Amino acid sequence: MALRQIRIYGDEKLAKACRPVQYVSPRTKLLIRDMLDTMYEANGVGLAAPQVGILKQIVVIDIGDAGEENTEDANTKPGIGCGDGPLVMINPEILETSGEQTGQEGCLSLPGQAGMVTRPEYVKVKAFDENMKEFVVEGRGLLARAICHECDHLQGIMYVEKVEGDLFEVTDEEEE
Amino acid sequence: MTKPVNIREICLGMLMEITEEEAYSHVVLRETLEKYQYLEKRDRAFITRVVEGTLEHMIQIDYIIEQFSNVPVYNMKPLIRNLLRMSVYQLKYMDSVPDSAVCNEAVRLAQKKGFYNLKGFVNGVLRNTARRLSQVRYPDPQREPMRYLSVKYSFPIWMINKWVTQFGYETTEIMCRDSHISKGTVVHCNLAKASKEEIVQELTAQNITVKQHPYLDYALEISDYNYIGAISAFRKGWIQVQDISSMLVAEVAAPNWGDYCIDVCAAPGGKSLHISDKLMGSGYVEARDISERKVQMMQENIERTEAINIRAMRMDATVMDEESRGKADIVLADVPCSGLGVIRKKQDIKYKMSEKQQQDIIRLQRRILQNVQNYVRPGGTLIYSTCTVGADENQYNIKWFLENFPFHLESIDPYICEELKCRTTAGGFIQLLPGVHQSDGFFIARLGRN
Repeated sequence: MALRQIRIYGDEKLAKACRPVQYVSPRTKLLIRDMLDTMYEANGVGLAAPQVGILKQIVVIDIGDAGEENTEDANTKPGIGCGDGPLVMINPEILETSGEQTGQEGCLSLPGQAGMVTRPEYVKVKAFDENMKEFVVEGRGLLARAICHECDHLQGIMYVEKVEGDLFEVTDEEEE
Repeated sequence: MTKPVNIREICLGMLMEITEEEAYSHVVLRETLEKYQYLEKRDRAFITRVVEGTLEHMIQIDYIIEQFSNVPVYNMKPLIRNLLRMSVYQLKYMDSVPDSAVCNEAVRLAQKKGFYNLKGFVNGVLRNTARRLSQVRYPDPQREPMRYLSVKYSFPIWMINKWVTQFGYETTEIMCRDSHISKGTVVHCNLAKASKEEIVQELTAQNITVKQHPYLDYALEISDYNYIGAISAFRKGWIQVQDISSMLVAEVAAPNWGDYCIDVCAAPGGKSLHISDKLMGSGYVEARDISERKVQMMQENIERTEAINIRAMRMDATVMDEESRGKADIVLADVPCSGLGVIRKKQDIKYKMSEKQQQDIIRLQRRILQNVQNYVRPGGTLIYSTCTVGADENQYNIKWFLENFPFHLESIDPYICEELKCRTTAGGFIQLLPGVHQSDGFFIARLGRN
């Protein structure tokens, strides 16, 4: 397990647009593994490569069992990115969005703070996996929020630019 | 992105603290809501509702759970027990939450908290409850009248037995029922800072519902607000939260210009400040309490009001302070009590109190009385008050006190409104009963030193 240092808001890397990945080298695979380790260690649900200082279009997401809370729909099955393993997306491209959700959002690059952000309720996104195989994934609720949040990072956009009202302090719950 | 907070997990954590670790519900609730102030109003309301509601109906909820579980509630793992309780509360009392969501969330939370092997149990109990809730048979009011009250209103059976003996079955039912009725908050208008019209206007401007309280002119009942700290009239110091019963203490004490008053169990200081206000800057009020933290809190409150004739000090009411002997015109003894008059506001009181604990409390009350009666000058006044109902901590204590010390009861009729006057008020004391009176359960006696 290798942890990378998470860049904090203000770091110039977080304000830059990222390059698309041409092919997945062993180094890229290592980066993805480190990003996952770093995300889980920080108790996050998503992380983008620029947050660890790499300007490549890579994001990892795992909203875990927090997944279905937003939907309150008993029939939603957990899927990739919601408790059945992480969602790794290379060169993601949002194809379609619909609906709206307003809720609290926080970022690992801005620890201890959060703000209210409006995002689409549903997104459809196209991306490549670790073998550069193209796939399409749909997300609702929290997953949709996480996908939008992480894809924004790849454009050098932080959620603070979209926040409604002020940021507020949040204390991290200790996890057992 | 960071993990969003799971509000059900917050609720469960709070219930664990309250039911398994002796923490007080109002303290836990206040601290949690302060910590999560940024949550949306909807989420904050959900947390408050689930935690308060689960505690409010806990005996009934446990009764329901045991209809569908082979394991009695007291034998369950504490976390599972509380998870089931809050879930059954949502099933029975919150129509806005779909049953399937309640079950799914509970199962997921059980798993998250490390009880993977109990997922099936939680799921089974909750799905059965959801399906057959309307078929649950409750104790029959004719055959088991006490148990009927206990399960219907979630009061421990010993308390029901005691109240029925002292107040009768009907009044007991009224008191039990009243503890489940949600009411507005009573506030004390600080008329030195603003007129009542200004205060009412300020409150209505924030869409707060305001009602005049029938017992006292300067008392208002407010409702439909989110968070007291956000009310502008409160921020300006125009109003403070104080129940009508507590305001009546200062009325009954009726200080005269220049009186020296000692409040021996003063925290949080509402009554002391009220007396200081009534003295209009004259005389002196000493607001004493046993804990440094409470004294500090009172000092802050005093400084906020800018009153000069009052100070907070740390002193144990059971320990004799020679300097105060025979000095005070008025001594307020609002003693620690079982709190059975304020169950509506602090639902967990009814489960935490026991007959044995009540005996300990009575001993403490008498020790305090025995000590602080020394501070009253001849001809001075001692006001004894509790926020509980029942003769044990009230009438019996007064009877014991009169037998042992040179005091007599004085009529309180001159100080209270017509509506409250009755035989006992002429005799010198009043027992306010929740549901019978428009107030918390409270007891006030006015004793004069010979």
